[in-house]
Amino acid sequence: MNETVNIREINDLIASKSSFISLIRSGMQRRIVGQKHLVDSLLIALLCNGHILLEGVPGLAKTLAIKTLSKLVDAKYNRIQFTPDLLPADVIGTLIYSVKKEQFEIKKGPIFANFVLADEINRAPAKVQSALLEAMQERQVTIGDETFPLDHPFLVMATQNPIEQEGTYQLPEAQTDRFLLKVVIGYPSKEEEKSIIRQNIFAEKMPVDAVVSLQEINEVQKIVEKIYIDEKIENYIVDVVFATREPSKYGLNDLADIIGYGASPRASISLTLAARAYAFLQGRGYVIPEDVRAVCYDVMRHRIGLTYEAEANNISTDDVITEILDKVVVP
Amino acid sequence: MKKNRLNIRLHILLLVIAALGFIPAAMAQRLSVKARLDSTHLLMGNMTYLHFEVVQNSKDKVVFPLLSSDINDSGVVGICGDSVELRTSVLRDTIELGSGRIQVNYHVPVQSFDSGYYKLPEFVFVTEKDSASSQPLGLKVMPVPNLTANDSIAPYADVAEPEGKSWLDNVPDVIYYYWWILVVIILLALIIRWLVKKYAVKEKVEDKKIVKERDPYLVALESLENLKQRKLWERGLEKEYFTELTDILREYLFKRFDISAKEMTTGQILQILNSNPETKDKRDMIRRVLDMADFVKFAKLRPLPADNVMAYDNALDFVRLTKPQPVDVKDEKARDDKPDNEKKGGKK
Repeated sequence: MNETVNIREINDLIASKSSFISLIRSGMQRRIVGQKHLVDSLLIALLCNGHILLEGVPGLAKTLAIKTLSKLVDAKYNRIQFTPDLLPADVIGTLIYSVKKEQFEIKKGPIFANFVLADEINRAPAKVQSALLEAMQERQVTIGDETFPLDHPFLVMATQNPIEQEGTYQLPEAQTDRFLLKVVIGYPSKEEEKSIIRQNIFAEKMPVDAVVSLQEINEVQKIVEKIYIDEKIENYIVDVVFATREPSKYGLNDLADIIGYGASPRASISLTLAARAYAFLQGRGYVIPEDVRAVCYDVMRHRIGLTYEAEANNISTDDVITEILDKVVVP
Repeated sequence: MKKNRLNIRLHILLLVIAALGFIPAAMAQRLSVKARLDSTHLLMGNMTYLHFEVVQNSKDKVVFPLLSSDINDSGVVGICGDSVELRTSVLRDTIELGSGRIQVNYHVPVQSFDSGYYKLPEFVFVTEKDSASSQPLGLKVMPVPNLTANDSIAPYADVAEPEGKSWLDNVPDVIYYYWWILVVIILLALIIRWLVKKYAVKEKVEDKKIVKERDPYLVALESLENLKQRKLWERGLEKEYFTELTDILREYLFKRFDISAKEMTTGQILQILNSNPETKDKRDMIRRVLDMADFVKFAKLRPLPADNVMAYDNALDFVRLTKPQPVDVKDEKARDDKPDNEKKGGKK
């Protein structure tokens, strides 16, 4: 077999640089029972330098997951609890007058970290959400007259609670689009629940040490960018995204009245990035349709708007994505 | 003293001259009426017209009291001792004269049934501030000549027969007046019938095509043979070769086993084949083809010639080994008689 050189090189690079993945996974498993999908999603976001919106009821180890990941990566971690009285300055920082120095000094906010947990993001008003989401997009923050680049890697994991919607500020669709992934996590299984009890009450907490440096993560991000994506896969991604916009053209007439608006071009970009990262996690230097399908739900679920008719019929975006994936021809 | 008297006379003279200067202007603003008859001789029972030319200010409202509808509603006004009748159905027309003046012409029908000579009186026209009268006119009404025995009288005509009844008289009025609507409806009906006929025929043709759909086994064999003949990989088109090879297999899986393989990834196809007893043991053949195809299609892999041949052979073997077995008619009938819930489990 004569394999093209660059793919082999990428495969070799992945083989040599991806060993930390299994270490991170095992490190996460030491602290978190189950939630493998959450761990994989965090890794995908980390490899793509993206952000995650996490939806789940309280107590599903969301905070613990990102906290553990930050320890495993030896990164700076900050947590911001979003509340209705939070101000943008509480997130990004502000100028404080120093009486001693008789001048204004910059006090950087908690956003200056590698991993930021924006807990219950929908509890804060729109201006605070905008401040965070703008910083996520631009990867820089301006305080006073000075602009500061944010740390690299920079991963925001925002959580929102699907229940108790009263007194919350729902994230606008245009802003949720800035999250690479939206992960919905559910309750653990019975066996997992038993393990959680044992681990938290009877066993001693296992220590977690750093297994990879920020420098290595930056290098791996560059390798992920090199992962080969064939034109056939690009066409497949475009077809999946277009099927959300023009379902009738893909024989999905039933979805025409269900989809209010389709996914944006940012969805195509995110799908490509996430598929590459997923291929990396599988130790592959090229993307196959399985990679696209594996990340499709997390990438697309917050980018498709449903109509009232869909809500009345209890149809979710996941149902829509399933129908699309079952109809779009795989290359 | 003499000089003073001269001044007084001069002032009086000037006042008189000034007053005389206003007279024509005052006269010009007055209402004036002229009357004339079409003919001063009228045969008894016949009709002629009495015309009035009324010159007035355009803003003035002129009333002709004699023919005012408020006074007489019968439509006839008698004058000259009711021997001459004026009809109140008066025709009017107006001519613009300029300087705010107009001329209104009244045309009053006149009729008489008594012979004699009549002096038509002055007719008064009134405005709010002024009035004017027409000049009197003379009218001679002549009697109708009596018939004598010598006069010839035209004979009585026969009673005419009723006109022949046309078939149109039997047509209902609705159709007689709105026949064009009926024509439009008929035309539309014809167009719709033509369209229905045209597309119904198409559907029938399509149905026939479906009925005549060929055996997927034979189609797959033919397609594989065709692919071999085209020598794609021999010409360096390995990617196209594997794309077509997998397309043939996916199409075959869909038609033969009802597996939507075209919309499935390699992993999904293999999973489904593993759950089907008929394909479970042949799953590896497909796996080898699809795995190699994934490498070629998505990882820029250039396979060796032996790999191309092996993939082809595996695909061909899979198709041959899954050739549908002839079904015994009795078994088929027995299976058809079974309840639906026993038949479930996919197409085999």
